[in-house]
Amino acid sequence: MGNHVYVALPVMAMLAILQSSVLSRFPVLGVVPQLLFLVALVWGIARGIEEGLIWAFIAGLFADLFSIAPLGVSSLAFMAGVGGPLLLQRALPPRRLPVAMFMAMLGTLVYLAVYAVALRLFGFGASLSGLTELLPLLAVHAVLILPIYLLMDSMLRALRPRRVEF
Amino acid sequence: MNLGQTQQRIRWITLAILVGSAILLTVLDSTGALSGVMGFVRDPLTYISSWTSARTDSVADIVAGPRNLETALQEIDRLRTENDTLRKENEQLLEDAGEAQILRQMFDRAAETPEYRRITADVIGQDTNPAIQSILINKGYDDGVRVGMPIEAARGLVGQVYRVTNNAAQVALLTETASAIPVRLGSTRATGMLRGAGRGALPTIDWIDLQYDVQVGELVTTSGLGGKFPENLVIGRVVNVERNEAELFQQATVQPAVDFNAIEIVFVVTEFNTDNTEIFSEGP
Repeated sequence: MGNHVYVALPVMAMLAILQSSVLSRFPVLGVVPQLLFLVALVWGIARGIEEGLIWAFIAGLFADLFSIAPLGVSSLAFMAGVGGPLLLQRALPPRRLPVAMFMAMLGTLVYLAVYAVALRLFGFGASLSGLTELLPLLAVHAVLILPIYLLMDSMLRALRPRRVEF
Repeated sequence: MNLGQTQQRIRWITLAILVGSAILLTVLDSTGALSGVMGFVRDPLTYISSWTSARTDSVADIVAGPRNLETALQEIDRLRTENDTLRKENEQLLEDAGEAQILRQMFDRAAETPEYRRITADVIGQDTNPAIQSILINKGYDDGVRVGMPIEAARGLVGQVYRVTNNAAQVALLTETASAIPVRLGSTRATGMLRGAGRGALPTIDWIDLQYDVQVGELVTTSGLGGKFPENLVIGRVVNVERNEAELFQQATVQPAVDFNAIEIVFVVTEFNTDNTEIFSEGP
């Protein structure tokens, strides 16, 4: 594990608090965007699948701390939602923002599917109509990933400037 | 008569004519006898006067303008500041009024069942997972909150404590699939088990005996059976009944009385009267 873990822990803790106490009060299109998932996905896009999965895992743990879902269920779902699209990253054209939007939609779909199955296994099954209600999350995440991506990308560039060789 | 005396006389006659004419005109005008003539003279004069006056006002405005504009801008600034202050006060008053209303409802609810022991708690968060419905409250183990305790709002039952930390508790809403509450229907007195159906679906009452004619609109309250919930906590109303004569039991869908998205303050019912069932578990 690299130093990025020490960044992920406080960031995800802060985001989980924000997610539970602030974002939940302001639903968009009837759904609350999953900020922790999006940040983990963006980190994965920027830094590779390995770090993305670690961030997804940590994000899931913190998400479950503010949920009645069993601890770890969100980690599973987040990792699937982050890992799945990142596997396709090389096959996708090198257009950063449209690709990020596509990955957000695909990742959200995978995350919700895995989450629904995992919840069923633990007796929390959501109804089909309930899951259908969550589909606007795909669109919300596709839009919301753009500012997060741009922000994190610029932060990473500022912290670790690219080496230029002459 | 010398020239000087003649000139003096003419002066006196002229003066007399002028004075006489003036007195005559005064008398005639005061009696209205000259109105027609005077109107004929005055009309063009007033027209010219109004045109001149307008130009004069414009010039006066241009000259006096900057001073008035400055005053007006100062006035606008003052009014804006005053408006902002009043808006803030108004928002604060609305917030206070909303909180006072909630507290009044909570007080009324507590007064209905004074025998219960309750703790008030603020809702500080909601479940981070979109498919699960739970809330986070700011009272925990140190405050006497324990797993399984019922949570109610002013309008009715909210759910049950699912997980407790020292200073907070996670509450599973009654709409959540993990929730099962023994209930009684208001008029038929039929009993059943209310089960949450998860996000996007209303909870349903299972195991209602077919002998009861359950009606839409019936009040649903806790039955108190099992001892985990006190009796007669309002849950909601029946909105749909599924009855099939070929089956042993019927099912009813319930619209909860509480708007779970708008809860701010809740009661944790820490103690309530239950029938002592321990005697049944004692050996002979």
